[in-house]
Amino acid sequence: MKIRTASVFFLLAVLPNIAFAAPVKKMKPAVITAPLVEENEPAPPNDMLEPLNRATFALNDGIDFVLINPLVTLWNGIMPSFVRTGVGNFFNNLDDVYVGVNHVLQGNGSAAGADFKRVVVNTTVGIGGLFDVGAKMGLHKVDGDFGQTLGVWGFPTGPYLILPLLGPSTFRETAGRSVRVMTDPRSYMDTVPSYSLMGLEYLQTRADTKANEGLIAASSLDRYVFIRNLYLQKRALLVKSGRDKTSSAAN
Amino acid sequence: MTLRCALSGLAQWLALTGLMVVVSLSPLRAEVQVPDELVKKLAAEMTQAVRNDPELQNPNSVKISDFVQKNIVPRFDFDRITQIAMGRNWAKASPTEQKQIVIEFGKLLTRTYSNAISTLKELDVEIKTTRVTTPNVDVTVKTQMIGRPQPVAIDYGLINGPGGWKVSDVTVEGISLVAAYRDEFNGLVSASGVQGVIDALKKKNGG
Repeated sequence: MKIRTASVFFLLAVLPNIAFAAPVKKMKPAVITAPLVEENEPAPPNDMLEPLNRATFALNDGIDFVLINPLVTLWNGIMPSFVRTGVGNFFNNLDDVYVGVNHVLQGNGSAAGADFKRVVVNTTVGIGGLFDVGAKMGLHKVDGDFGQTLGVWGFPTGPYLILPLLGPSTFRETAGRSVRVMTDPRSYMDTVPSYSLMGLEYLQTRADTKANEGLIAASSLDRYVFIRNLYLQKRALLVKSGRDKTSSAAN
Repeated sequence: MTLRCALSGLAQWLALTGLMVVVSLSPLRAEVQVPDELVKKLAAEMTQAVRNDPELQNPNSVKISDFVQKNIVPRFDFDRITQIAMGRNWAKASPTEQKQIVIEFGKLLTRTYSNAISTLKELDVEIKTTRVTTPNVDVTVKTQMIGRPQPVAIDYGLINGPGGWKVSDVTVEGISLVAAYRDEFNGLVSASGVQGVIDALKKKNGG
């Protein structure tokens, strides 16, 4: 009986599978592997200063190795994570004012409204920006800066440029960053508090990006090219999203 | 008596017929699995596994590479990914070289994904999927991971090939890793030809 059941099972369950396997495969939707779109391949990046950039890149690596990395490790080691989060939030809150202004300049009123709402909530309920209460209310931080605004206004990116200490940039982003520094209230404070605040922000930013730096180092064949591509992709996207939102707000 | 025997025989037949239908239909079912579901499953499995197992949070552990080999690799189309990353340089490589590049690049990507996945514990994941059609892939499934100051948007580009739906590109916040590799490959090919790509990949993979 058992043998019979087994053979019946074989006849009924396995044979139809073999018999119908081919028709089932034919029923599958046709393989719609579209040919690779050639024009989708972006133009090579504008990096006419590559030799200089590679030199600055190496210099920055050196500074990182002897100074920044030990400081970041020390900072991460002595500061409990809630302090680091608080410091990060504090600077993000200051940045949100600036992001909001840029959204206004880009003609994107609704985004600016959300940015300023975040600033009000985080400065009051979030005790001077130490807690990101806005994010918990669904108002997440949005990136924005003057380099993006220049891009939305139609200024070209210009050549890629590695800045000492600050890293990847382009001619346009460097112009944007200069405007930022000139309009930063910290530039008009006394030297010591001004530099301490800027140094702290720099340290916190580097601490935040440390995990990503490790990922990039482990994944890239030529770290310079890899970072250049990621940076330029990111900036292009930021400008594109700024443009899309501005044009949809205008309609 | 004989009637009862015949009846139970009939019942057996019926049960087996039912089984047969289920068994013969199951491969068909797997094939028509919609890409949204596939991505949702992939993302949920990944994040859950990493959160529940501290060993998976160590990017260098054997366990994470096993996990990636078992759960991630079969759902990725490395042939296609390599082809897109090589772009116009793909045609310059001989079939043997193409095969080598797929193998070595697959190894590197597997390690990269292991590294990236091991950091997932910091994210609170809420997966929202939406489908859009984009060039070079059949469908893009967009997901959002909530939990850091900003939500992280991870999009999976999928193609429907002979092995069913497979991932052929992943972008994080709109940034494509494959595009970054394309720039690297371009540089390597213009400096030292297709062999340069193979050598660099082999060196990176430690072999």
